[in-house]
Amino acid sequence: MARDMTAETALSIDPVLCLQHGEAALALLRLADRSLVYASAAFERLLPPPERAALLAGLDPARPRREIEMRVGSRQLCLDISLRLLEGAAAGLAVLTLTDIGGQREAEYMLDSYAKLAERHARDLEREKTRAEKLLLNMMPRSVYEELREYGTTTPQRFEHATVLMLDLVGFTEMSMAREPSQLVAELNDIFSAFDRVVELFGCERIKTIGDAYLAVSGVPEPSPEHVVNAAKVALRMRRYLDRRNASGPQEWKCRIGIATGPLIGSVVGIHRYVYDVFGPAVNMAARLEATAKPGEILLCNNAMLQLGGQFEIGPAQMVELKGFGSCAAAALIGEQRHA
Amino acid sequence: MSETIYDRLGGFPGVRRVVTAFYKRILDSVVLEHHFRHADMRRLVDHQTKFMAALMGGPYAIDEIGLRKAHRHLGITRGEFREMSALLRETLAEEGVPPGDIELVLARMARLEPAVIAEAA
Repeated sequence: MARDMTAETALSIDPVLCLQHGEAALALLRLADRSLVYASAAFERLLPPPERAALLAGLDPARPRREIEMRVGSRQLCLDISLRLLEGAAAGLAVLTLTDIGGQREAEYMLDSYAKLAERHARDLEREKTRAEKLLLNMMPRSVYEELREYGTTTPQRFEHATVLMLDLVGFTEMSMAREPSQLVAELNDIFSAFDRVVELFGCERIKTIGDAYLAVSGVPEPSPEHVVNAAKVALRMRRYLDRRNASGPQEWKCRIGIATGPLIGSVVGIHRYVYDVFGPAVNMAARLEATAKPGEILLCNNAMLQLGGQFEIGPAQMVELKGFGSCAAAALIGEQRHA
Repeated sequence: MSETIYDRLGGFPGVRRVVTAFYKRILDSVVLEHHFRHADMRRLVDHQTKFMAALMGGPYAIDEIGLRKAHRHLGITRGEFREMSALLRETLAEEGVPPGDIELVLARMARLEPAVIAEAA
């Protein structure tokens, strides 16, 4: 501020003398006829005579500070123009200062451009991430995926109380040979998607489908005291879904379901091709029960049967011969008990 | 993930220096100047930034069909394209880009020649 004052005082004494030094693009302008009394070397370099006249004519003392863009040869020149009217002995004169802000402008444009690139890049990455996440969530439960994402690895987990549901569509193999493949697969996709929704609704997890077989678990990976009940409810709704579908469609779909309760181990298997899978006797038991079930039947293992009593309608216990297990008690799940 | 030239140059700050220097050389070139005489600075800088990012493996991919469309009417000659390549080589060398990387960038640029120059006379 103090220096400014000094400069102004000096200018009012002998303006030209003050301007003759330094590298600034300065000129002293006579306002009456817009002629230059003096122009510094830097001013001459920045604004050669051909372009000068237009600029001087366009100056407006009412707008002492402005930025303009103009062409000088092949270049686009960005200038910051400042006009300071002098007073006293130098009245009628003005100091014209030009600052080349081309470099600054260039950097600004470049930054704009780069920011847009970076934003787009970030959006693309985000989209890619969502896609990858969706794919992985198809292969494993969310909590397992999150563990994998956080730590880069997952640890197999033991679940003491879990229930396995194994479903198989009756006669699918024969059907697959007799019918148009794309139509059949579309129907299978339809059915399994409906099953997925039921499974999710009751807090269960679909583990995988193997052809026309559907494997789901309850109480994994989130333990739940209701695991047997939830699995039973899922099984009943799967069967009901097929019944309703059969009532309105030409194709007769029947399922066999086995439900077994017991400890399980859940883990991601594979390094490059991840898959979340479950292991344990309950998995085998559910598969054996499903194979033993009649079309349209839901067969419960002894454990599940004992835990479900009261809330559900269950058929009489029967002894069944299961491969690898020998003679086991099992019972058919008929429906939910209606409360009066 | 392998490091790109873009990364080695220090990401955007390094590329910014190259773009500024290259831009200046282009406008000073007697051979090329007439193509840019009426170009809008904002657009030109935008193109240069994307172009450099793409050549150096930064966050931009050149769309060759778009490139062809944008240059078809400009009547760019092979000589002008070579001048542009030579200027880029000088710029990169001056900015201290290692010779191996310069060759890589120029090889990528050379691949664009058919899309940029007017149909061979």
